[in-house]
Amino acid sequence: MQPDPILSVRDLSVGFHGKTAVRAASFDVAPGEIVGLTGDSGSGKSTLGLALLGLVRQPGRILGGQVLLEGTDFLALPEAERRSRRGRQIGLIVQNPRGALSPLHTVGGQIQSVLRAHQPVDAAQSSKRAVGLLRDLGLNDPERRAGAFPHEISGGMAQRVLIAMAVGAGPRVLVADEPTSGLDVTIQAQFLDELARTARATGSAVLLMTQDLGIIANYCDRVMVMQAGAIVADGETRAFFAAPSDEYSRTVLALRHAPPPAAPSDPAPLLQVDGLTKHFPLSGSKKVLQAVDRVTFEIGRGETLGLVGESGSGKTTVGRCLLRLIEPDGGTITFDGHELTRASGKELRTLRRRVQIVFQDPLDALDPRWTVAAIVGEALDRPDPKRTAELLDLVGLGPEVARLRPRSLSAGAQQRVSIARAIAADPALIVLDEPTSALTPLARVGIVKLLRDLQARLGMSYLFISHDLNTVEQLSHRVAVMYMGQIVELGTREQVFEAPLHPYARALLAAHLAPDPAARRIDRPREAGLAGEIPSPIDLPPGCYLAGRCPDVQSACRTTPQALQHLGDGRLVRCTPAARARSVRVEMSMREQADG
Amino acid sequence: MSGAEQLDGALLALDLQAHRARPVADLLFYLGGAVVALSLLLMVVGPWIVPFDVGRPGDDIMQPPPALADVPALLVQVLRGTPHDPIHWFGTDSAGLDIFSRVLAAPRADVAIAVGANAFSLVMGSLIGLFAGMARPWVGALTMRISDIVQAFPVFITGMVLVTLAGRSDLTIVVTLALLYTPIYVRLTRSEVLTQRSRGFVDAARALGRSEPWIALRHVLPNALAPAMIQASVTIGFAILMTAGLSFVGAGVRPPSPEWGLMIAAGANDIVQGDWWPSVFPGLAISVTVFGYAAFGNGLERRNAA
Repeated sequence: MQPDPILSVRDLSVGFHGKTAVRAASFDVAPGEIVGLTGDSGSGKSTLGLALLGLVRQPGRILGGQVLLEGTDFLALPEAERRSRRGRQIGLIVQNPRGALSPLHTVGGQIQSVLRAHQPVDAAQSSKRAVGLLRDLGLNDPERRAGAFPHEISGGMAQRVLIAMAVGAGPRVLVADEPTSGLDVTIQAQFLDELARTARATGSAVLLMTQDLGIIANYCDRVMVMQAGAIVADGETRAFFAAPSDEYSRTVLALRHAPPPAAPSDPAPLLQVDGLTKHFPLSGSKKVLQAVDRVTFEIGRGETLGLVGESGSGKTTVGRCLLRLIEPDGGTITFDGHELTRASGKELRTLRRRVQIVFQDPLDALDPRWTVAAIVGEALDRPDPKRTAELLDLVGLGPEVARLRPRSLSAGAQQRVSIARAIAADPALIVLDEPTSALTPLARVGIVKLLRDLQARLGMSYLFISHDLNTVEQLSHRVAVMYMGQIVELGTREQVFEAPLHPYARALLAAHLAPDPAARRIDRPREAGLAGEIPSPIDLPPGCYLAGRCPDVQSACRTTPQALQHLGDGRLVRCTPAARARSVRVEMSMREQADG
Repeated sequence: MSGAEQLDGALLALDLQAHRARPVADLLFYLGGAVVALSLLLMVVGPWIVPFDVGRPGDDIMQPPPALADVPALLVQVLRGTPHDPIHWFGTDSAGLDIFSRVLAAPRADVAIAVGANAFSLVMGSLIGLFAGMARPWVGALTMRISDIVQAFPVFITGMVLVTLAGRSDLTIVVTLALLYTPIYVRLTRSEVLTQRSRGFVDAARALGRSEPWIALRHVLPNALAPAMIQASVTIGFAILMTAGLSFVGAGVRPPSPEWGLMIAAGANDIVQGDWWPSVFPGLAISVTVFGYAAFGNGLERRNAA
């Protein structure tokens, strides 16, 4: 039998200036249940989440409906009573953890103020309890962290402080609004693990609002989809992913498990990067920041190399060096037989046109004073309205867009204009620097599909830089994983995604949340992950950069720098123990085959 | 306090703030705009529409302006077109010149000099600022230090020295003020250039093989001009004050041209005898104009930020 719902929403509507943002939403959440709420930007998820706490952004108004929390209509209570129940009965975790914390108070103090607002505890008790909450959430040295100010802790820690504040007074219902947007994948997974574990342990219900269907597939028991303010789908997670009932989810999931079109097999690579190195001097000190360290790779004609890694791993710097937007300090870049690193003047300008780039922030990449026609035309030798219209058509935009300025386009359309400008120069290689990261899920699918189609039609190569492993999987033929400026593993998409060898690549891929409930992370046994913090790129350890965090660390790793090792099947791994373990496995299986 | 309450509180406060600030700011912006428009209009047509000749003394010497109580009746007379004695709205000065006419004719000198000087320094300053922002760091730094030195001169004394050396003509004042104001525009444009030059469309143009000067003039400069244009409105106001000030101390416009600073100086001796009108009306004209330009510039800035 179903337990009584802990949260029951009936016909809840919220309006802004005569526009309805949430339209008669009704749903139930059972104790211990984690329910995902998804939908495109502007579908009303955040507004609904805030309305559950009786809050609306000005000038909105709750138009009607009930929010039954453990049987009592929360919205019918007087404001003073609602305030005392917020935090105690229903808690909220917002996005942008740093913005939600007061910069003037210690994080411990902020957790304590929540505790004292709801529970009859004195200062000493609340201080002890705040430290206990931080310890439970897996923070090292919680006593010291509790005394820190928000700017002294990392984004992941700030997010955990927010959980501590939200769960501190033991609310039965937690509303989490995009709690992991902007976090790196490994931190995101750690955070969601903690959130799910805390919810399960206390038997509270969680409403998790996110655009990322990967998070929903891996953590939620049930899924609801919002579109234009209405809940258009509500179902059990596995059934939902097996056959999404609504148009939005079907579109977003359309490219799931669809491998990119096969690359032509041409033995001569288009681009060869050898030993690429870039240091940034730090002003006011003799130290240097090592952004890129002896990076070596090739890209074939018509091939896509995915370059993944967390923020600060140097992947963007590699992309910029390929266009010499940043001057490399060492190494060579050979493009189509020409050495790019030595070219200058006119030769450089001509070569550059054959390597184009698409940036992360689509609005920033387009001159706000220029029309779309002028922007695309900039790549042509002379203005050519016919060719411009052709290019716009190629990226799926109508000719009427040509007269508009970038600001009046959606982010997805802006990114299409950027792509049109890039292909107008007739490039052989396009560096795609996180082109989908600033887009909504719907726009993202459109851009990924467009990039695949363009590659099939025009045959150019891509260097696809992203931290979003789902899109990397949908676009790349081969994948390189970067950590602290070095490539730690390089192999085909199947090799890296299905059996990563380097401990960092393993941790990254384990934190990858695929929109597929087949092997949910929440159901997987916890594996030994990476410990501690990323070392500072200014003071790097003498041996392997991962040695301080690696679960398989050996004593030699701490003193000996690791070299990239070639394995037989074309893969490269920067880890001696992993390479050795694998060659032993390969040898054993070969012996077995010989014996059998 | 929970995160939600903080968030909601902050959003509410922002809304209220924006709501309260807008009407007053808008009113000042439109008032300022009206003053700017009127001053520019008078700069062009002022000397042609005045009721009395601004250079030929009349017979009525030191006549006070009409009493406030009589003003409506006089206005009715003027509007009906009934024949009446010549009216000196602001009175006459010790030479018998009509002060109202001279106040209206003065923008031909004051506003023209201020606008001309600012146009000159806006063009020079933004080009130098563009150069300083796009050049190698040490070249940029050197340009900025030179600009600092120019800016460090005490404006008034420099102006007096330059006018003394180069002679007293309107063009000298324009050049003096332009030289002194250029560093302001250099600084503003450079800091905006530093922001704009690292934007995506600049790198995209580089990737398309565009040359650095082309990128600087077509992409960076147009996007970096807004703060300098806004500053121009405020600076024109101050330049009007400066022109009047230089004239007041005898280093500006030559008498007997109608000019607010000269008029204040000429009337200064009469004030001690209680004859306030020869100085007060041009003084009011300066205050209103400077305030109008500043309010207009402020409004522009707010609009640009929004």
